[in-house]
Amino acid sequence: MKSGSVRASIAPMQRRTPQSFLKFILRHGVCGCAGWLLLFSFFPAIKTVADEPSTNATASWVFTATNHLGEWIWDTNTFDKQTVRFLKTFEIPVGQRVSRATLHITVDNGYTLFIDGDEIGRGSDWRTVTEYDVTQLMHTGRHVIGVEGFNDRLEGGLIFGLHVELASQEVIDIASDNTWSTGPGDGKKWNGSKLNAATVRPAIVIGPMHTHPWEIWPYGLATVPPIHPVVLHFWQRGWFQLLLFCTAAAALLFSFWLLTQLSAQAKAQNFLKVERVRIARDIHDDLGAQLTQLLLLGEVAQREQLESSPARAQFTQICDHARELAHAMDEVVWAVNSRRDTVRDFTSHVCKYAQNFLRATNIRCRLDVEPEIPATAFDLPVRRNLFLAVKEALNNAAKHSQADELFLRIYRSGQKLSVVVEDNGRGFNPDETRAAGNGMTNMAQRMAEIDGICEVQSQPGGGCLMLFTVPLPPERRRWFRRVENDDEGGKKIEISGS
Amino acid sequence: MKPSAPVPPSTAKPTVRVVLVEDKPGVRDSWVKLINSLPGFSCVQTCASGEDALRVIPVANPDVVLMDIFLPRMSGIECTARLKLQLPKIQILILTAVEDDELVFMALEAGADGYLLKRTKPDDLKAAMLDVLGGGAPMTSEIARRVVESFRRTSKQTKDTVRLTTREEEILILLSKGYANKEIADQLSISPETVGSHLKHIYEKMHVRSRAEAVARYMTSKA
Repeated sequence: MKSGSVRASIAPMQRRTPQSFLKFILRHGVCGCAGWLLLFSFFPAIKTVADEPSTNATASWVFTATNHLGEWIWDTNTFDKQTVRFLKTFEIPVGQRVSRATLHITVDNGYTLFIDGDEIGRGSDWRTVTEYDVTQLMHTGRHVIGVEGFNDRLEGGLIFGLHVELASQEVIDIASDNTWSTGPGDGKKWNGSKLNAATVRPAIVIGPMHTHPWEIWPYGLATVPPIHPVVLHFWQRGWFQLLLFCTAAAALLFSFWLLTQLSAQAKAQNFLKVERVRIARDIHDDLGAQLTQLLLLGEVAQREQLESSPARAQFTQICDHARELAHAMDEVVWAVNSRRDTVRDFTSHVCKYAQNFLRATNIRCRLDVEPEIPATAFDLPVRRNLFLAVKEALNNAAKHSQADELFLRIYRSGQKLSVVVEDNGRGFNPDETRAAGNGMTNMAQRMAEIDGICEVQSQPGGGCLMLFTVPLPPERRRWFRRVENDDEGGKKIEISGS
Repeated sequence: MKPSAPVPPSTAKPTVRVVLVEDKPGVRDSWVKLINSLPGFSCVQTCASGEDALRVIPVANPDVVLMDIFLPRMSGIECTARLKLQLPKIQILILTAVEDDELVFMALEAGADGYLLKRTKPDDLKAAMLDVLGGGAPMTSEIARRVVESFRRTSKQTKDTVRLTTREEEILILLSKGYANKEIADQLSISPETVGSHLKHIYEKMHVRSRAEAVARYMTSKA
């Protein structure tokens, strides 16, 4: 037997008063062991003075401490440094309400107490009985008391009593006796769920309360404040945390997936852009150069013919066709080249086209273009459709209007780009003309494709105004300047001094 | 060079001496044949590269240089800038396969006196060459717009001393609106020749300004 400090280590949620421990220390410290020895030798039969907090130094605490206790029980074998696990199952009948449940326990030399798998408290001084108020834990149904006892040296024993008072005045007493099971087991939750039936054996009763070597006993009573069941909020529960973890993991995976998708898309976009530049350059460099050469050869050959020879006329024709071909190729290159995906470039292209196109007619081309048109991105479908619509309008003007002046106006209004083709020709009735076709529906369709609007204002004798409006993409703020790789050489001039 | 009395008018005028800078041999030969086939023009020399041109042209001292933009190593634009530094009076026409405003604008800033598409009809080529020799300076509306914009942009920085006069800007704006030189002359009640000389001045200013910029850039990069 070994004495230790009075300590009833209590469940995590409880607070304990340091009073009893302090008193104990003081007593031991001040009086010293000699005093104790003296006391024991002279009054061996006298029960020790309570070191119970609410000291009214009567002996009533002894009764409180020992009232419902059972017998000392232990495992079949006893040896030093032994750990024994005890298990007792009982039931509180259904429909009963527990008005009070008090538990007394001590183990020579120490114990850890579990109810229904949850640790309730610990003790390491066998001489002190600890009282637990477990009323809150005693709901109806099956309960499991688990005790992990530890014997430090020589004899070991567990003594236990649970007194349950029901609201119906009935009483259930669970005391330590040979109905308890002992057996090895492991795991933190000592509730018998992992108990191996093959190794379980009944506990051995050593003797009643004051059997040897526990004749003078108990020395003290430690009372633990009422123990409340640990309330687990749903966010503290495993399933919820698992769910949360899974959700977070799923979200993380999803964002990773999105990220990769996004980067893949950006890559594809960039690839497309680069490819378009490359195609444009290839057409321009290879086909264009060849075509130019062909044209030159044609011109030279033409000049080597006699003025009157039929071959000369044919060569002229060849050259004209080659020129048209070159022109058509320029259009393709313009449309394909992603370097041209800007409003500014669109503007200059349309102006140039209009001027070139109308040069062959009697119509003078006037331009009215908003200055400082920005290089806002202008996607291929939009600029292509808008260009084709304007082209159609110019074509109509050249064919039907009999105008001598045509205004091409390009300006921005808010987030929109407007192109106006206005002539001073003979005009027409828009309603009739639309029914007749004339490319008007075609134009409207083209504009509808790109969320644009096509308006026609005309009356016989009053000229014609066609307004095309397309939405502009919002100007993207660039946080960093993108380095644009020039796809054409010779763009940089440098004059290294004179 | 001194013509005698009974010579026909075509030979009375001195032949326009042309130097061609073009890297592709096949194209070069065709151009030479074409130029030589134009009455009053003769291609006196050809160069396959910008370096070549810088060596040959000061010696040959031609009336007109036809310069391809895309040349190996030194670009036609750089070559133009260098030639203009050496021979400010030389007339340089840029030949380009495609009408790229940026490139054209850069070439003009570098000192080129005009540009031609490679698929231009021989007659237009001839007209353009005669035009620059006669002191004219054709400018498209697109280029005019860019010139106005670029001068406005730099004048905002107030660092530039080269500015357009009101008249010059007027002409450029009319030009950018699609008016022909003759129409501009009518509108402003000046002669078409005056319009031409204004344009010539504008080109010179562009050139002076870009040279100043280039020098400034060069100085800062050295420092």
